[in-house]
Amino acid sequence: MAGVTHALNAVADGLRLPLEFSPSARQPVLPLPDPADAPPELKAVFDDIAGFYAMDRPPAVFRWMGRDVGYLQDYWGATREAFADRALDRLMKEILALAASMTGKSDYGVDFHLREARRLGLSDRALTEAIEVVQLFNTVTKIADALRLQPDFDPRSTG
Amino acid sequence: MEIVHITEAKDLAPEDQKVCEATKAWFKIDFVPKMSRVLLTVPEFGRPYGRASRRAMADGALTRAQKELIASMVSAINVCEY
Repeated sequence: MAGVTHALNAVADGLRLPLEFSPSARQPVLPLPDPADAPPELKAVFDDIAGFYAMDRPPAVFRWMGRDVGYLQDYWGATREAFADRALDRLMKEILALAASMTGKSDYGVDFHLREARRLGLSDRALTEAIEVVQLFNTVTKIADALRLQPDFDPRSTG
Repeated sequence: MEIVHITEAKDLAPEDQKVCEATKAWFKIDFVPKMSRVLLTVPEFGRPYGRASRRAMADGALTRAQKELIASMVSAINVCEY
């Protein structure tokens, strides 16, 4: 999930894709496929993506990927699985994706995953708590790296 | 290799040693993490930072476990081995 989120954010911000839900002056540096013009095979994937996110069209980062429908089908399949309800529910995964996006300084990711988390029920209180944790651990990870702290223990030795 | 000397807990101020004991209890571990000791090297920073951490990491609208997952995600994105 961390990898998928980071990669989608990298592409979306790299291509300057407009934010999905917040005002944005960004213009894509490359043209995106228009869902209205999509052939049936591509339209089926676009519809699945839009349905998953309860949007009236797929997010721009997936529209970009529609330039290669076979790639989109597989990458979307992996993304959908990564964010599916399993041991962690979808809301928790969106909170984690939001944390990853804030930490990675992705405007697209913060906009997207904040909306998704809200849509799935994230309260003001839980959002505040999540951002506090993001802030705290962006502090200590930078301190640890600056001082080159070695781990206190071998994580492989814990359950 | 660490670039600073990491103070032993026994060499910290008595009130900070109590904080270290509380940290061990919080994490259910038998040692004081290096980060705790580093932060308390400058008590004017470490004490309020520690209080903010304990407040933020306690069960609330999100559970402590969920908060630890968020912390892990931040660490992963920052590629922080510690």
